[in-house]
Amino acid sequence: MEETRQVQGTWDLSTFKFRIEGEGIKNMLKEMKEAKLLGNRCHKCGTVYLPANFYCRKCHIAIHEPAEISDHGEVMSYTIGYADVRGNPLDEPRVSLMVKLDGSDTWIMGAGEDMKPEDVHIGMRVKIKWADQRVGNLQDMESFIPE
Amino acid sequence: MDKKVAIVGFRMKSAPDLVTTRERLTFELTRGLFDDLGIEREDVDTTIFCTNDFLDGRTISNCFLEGPAGCYMRDESKVEMDALNGLMYACMRILSGQYRTAMVVSLALTGYQVSPYLHIEYQLSPIYDRQMRLLNELSAAALQARSYLTRYGYSEELLDAVAVQALSNAAANPYQARRIPGVSKEKVASSSPYYEPLKELHCYPPTDGGCVLLLASAERAKELTDKPVWVLGMGQSIETFYLGERDLFRSPSTVKAAKRAYELAGIKDPKAEVDLAEVSALFAHQEPLLAEALGLLEEGAAESSYQSGDTAVSGKMPINPSGGALGGHPVSATGLIRAAEAVRQLRGEAGENQVGKAEVAVVHGQDGPCAQQNAVVVLGV
Amino acid sequence: MRNVAIVGIGYTPVFVSKRRDVCIPEMISEAVENAFKNSGLTPADIDAVVFGNMHTFEGLNLPHLWSADFIASLGKPVMRIATGGTTGMSAFHAAYYHIASGLHDVVMVVTYEKHSEGDAQVGLMGIITPEIMAMLAAGIDVTGQKGMGAIGGGSAGGISYQATSYLHHSGAGIEHIDAIAAMERRNASKNPYAHLKDPEATAEKIAQTPLISWPIRFGHVCPTTDGATVCILASEEKAAKIADKAAWVWAVANCASDATTGNLIEGIITDPGEQMPATIAAKKAYERAGIQDPRKEIDYVEIYNGFAHQTLMFLERIGMCEVGEAHKLLEKGELEMSGSLPVNASGGVVSTNAIGTSALNRVTECALQLMGQAGEHQVEKEVHKALAHGWGGLMQYVTITILADKPKKL
Repeated sequence: MEETRQVQGTWDLSTFKFRIEGEGIKNMLKEMKEAKLLGNRCHKCGTVYLPANFYCRKCHIAIHEPAEISDHGEVMSYTIGYADVRGNPLDEPRVSLMVKLDGSDTWIMGAGEDMKPEDVHIGMRVKIKWADQRVGNLQDMESFIPE
Repeated sequence: MDKKVAIVGFRMKSAPDLVTTRERLTFELTRGLFDDLGIEREDVDTTIFCTNDFLDGRTISNCFLEGPAGCYMRDESKVEMDALNGLMYACMRILSGQYRTAMVVSLALTGYQVSPYLHIEYQLSPIYDRQMRLLNELSAAALQARSYLTRYGYSEELLDAVAVQALSNAAANPYQARRIPGVSKEKVASSSPYYEPLKELHCYPPTDGGCVLLLASAERAKELTDKPVWVLGMGQSIETFYLGERDLFRSPSTVKAAKRAYELAGIKDPKAEVDLAEVSALFAHQEPLLAEALGLLEEGAAESSYQSGDTAVSGKMPINPSGGALGGHPVSATGLIRAAEAVRQLRGEAGENQVGKAEVAVVHGQDGPCAQQNAVVVLGV
Repeated sequence: MRNVAIVGIGYTPVFVSKRRDVCIPEMISEAVENAFKNSGLTPADIDAVVFGNMHTFEGLNLPHLWSADFIASLGKPVMRIATGGTTGMSAFHAAYYHIASGLHDVVMVVTYEKHSEGDAQVGLMGIITPEIMAMLAAGIDVTGQKGMGAIGGGSAGGISYQATSYLHHSGAGIEHIDAIAAMERRNASKNPYAHLKDPEATAEKIAQTPLISWPIRFGHVCPTTDGATVCILASEEKAAKIADKAAWVWAVANCASDATTGNLIEGIITDPGEQMPATIAAKKAYERAGIQDPRKEIDYVEIYNGFAHQTLMFLERIGMCEVGEAHKLLEKGELEMSGSLPVNASGGVVSTNAIGTSALNRVTECALQLMGQAGEHQVEKEVHKALAHGWGGLMQYVTITILADKPKKL
């Protein structure tokens, strides 16, 4: 087959100024400094969102009621990473967990530590390992470790 | 189409910068619409989104709007075009008998972009036009403007006259983003030159905004509103992509789309039967060009029509009594906003901009460089 | 409601990694020409066109504008549909409503992807770009080393969580994912329009491919493909005049959930293996088609499976078998072309993924089976009703189409 000419094009995402919903994250980060988790609750159906959401996806109403959430929870799903985004092998397998924290109806994801890949399973109890020096950003949550 | 599908409600909002997120704007508009009609999200049978991924700077951009629009675990689809096409698709879904209500959701936060005209550059042919770096949204529009003025022997003052009429109407319309008090010919003529003959105030302003609109079958519409506005006809057409192959001074795709829409609406003489038009003219010259293609103005007589006030709110063929897209152009939502503005007119709720007789309105939306693709919808009471 | 039929199908001559000999609209035009050849129709017969591809992937905004001249659409209505991976089927549904509404009689669906001219990884990352930027602002390490930044767990990302969840709830093992992947690569070898073909594929062979992210291996993942698919639909009256054989639409349905994995900011994450929208959409489709017992009434299924485990998972979600039963059917050979519930005789998306076409190909492949025109990959049993499934959005949107070999009684 005859090859055609190739010309270069770009999609420059650096020229975008994205705005994101900030309040839920802001309140959560503030509390994380104290090693606490703050989400919010729908006053109509009781669904608890972490991080806080500005509306309830079930009731389609604005919601504001804060809800404290435990730093203990249950593994709902997991994966063990062996390669990076471009398919290059990792030095060590990496455990990633999807965790439903007690008191929350949504899940968050994070790295799993102090656990062997072969021991990880759905239903496993874990807790958040907090950073010693907390500054109020998401890195304050270092990882999930076995309960 | 004879009174089978009606517009029963809408919400819209525009500003130079809404200081909000797409998710919050979607929630605010849809929640507002549901409250207006006394319904909940379960009452919306299907939703059609119209947003542009290049404008949003993200892939499958509507998938974050489904929750805020109330579509969680519900029926939806997306038309990635001007939202007047989304309105047409929503009508088709109702006409099929499968759905009784259909919502159209469209919004754009142009403030996300450094260059508001950037998304159009990605529409250009990557193997020629983008390499040449001559064409962009403004330069293409300027070529069209020059072609149009020259063909009919219009002076550049026509552009000022169109802009003054549109911006004066926009100034009196609380839904518009660009409201300049006391706009004058001098002000328009002395605004910054962009691409000759187009100046800043001949061109649409970068706009944040959105519109949501609920359509219902005749039966359901009666339960939801006392003031249904009926979709009487619709049509759409596309012409060649290559600007060099098009007569830029006319819009054959608009002529075709309008012909189909008028046929469905049973309109034989648009000049006599249409009471007003809401046209998605992104640049001043496009308003008379498109009004001619819609059969509302005599070809070649635009300058006298605008000078005599025929096209003003009080004239015999008001064009864009809302102020049109020169007052605000949230990309994708503009055609739907035109429809909502026509609904305000047909319900007699257009305030200062209310035209005298308002029983039949023509609404227009466009996509592509120099309005390559055009959609036309006829509404009536 | 009017009956609508598929009266023509056109593919590009090949579905391969790189079409270097044509530009995008040229490639699309090949499939359009083939659809005209297949149906005996001419451009003048087409009332309207529906167009779809994956948003942003080739760096083209609204590519139907550029393609207009190449798809016989000048002077006609053209509607661009875009719903992520499901785009092809969403476009098909739009064409269906063009006709069912009574507004048009003959409508052409045009879909394509030319991955080789784009960067699918960048396109996919574009889905969550604003979130990533927000995470950077919030001080998160997005490379996934630590903390909440470890969202994707590697390249297969949220899909791995989905596969883990599926295995847990079904009792299947990774060996079943290997086996279904092998079956589809073998099926693909009989389909001239498939991309990754291996007539000798076995579960053992697939099991030798490296793990990317447990339980997903390279052998479980779809390729990136260049190709285009066109499908022509017609009203019952027109179909009777123009087609000897047709496949009839009995139902179309869809359902959306909320954006899921990776969307930390919205804070809404549902089980990626639960796929409730598939269950809801299928239920709606069965109701609309008047199907009481899908297991007895549906003869053939095409599942959208970008990743091999999804064939098994979605068969369960759409009610074609019990939860935990799909891998047992696989073990018994029932999912093979010779089985009682043949699935993806085409080789599925896991063998061929020109994204814009992928969900439409599920429909056209069902149509070919119904019309007995699938050639070497025609299944052994008689096919009277078939179900096509599409999956996309941000892993949270499902489309379903049910076709039959005769018109529905209205």
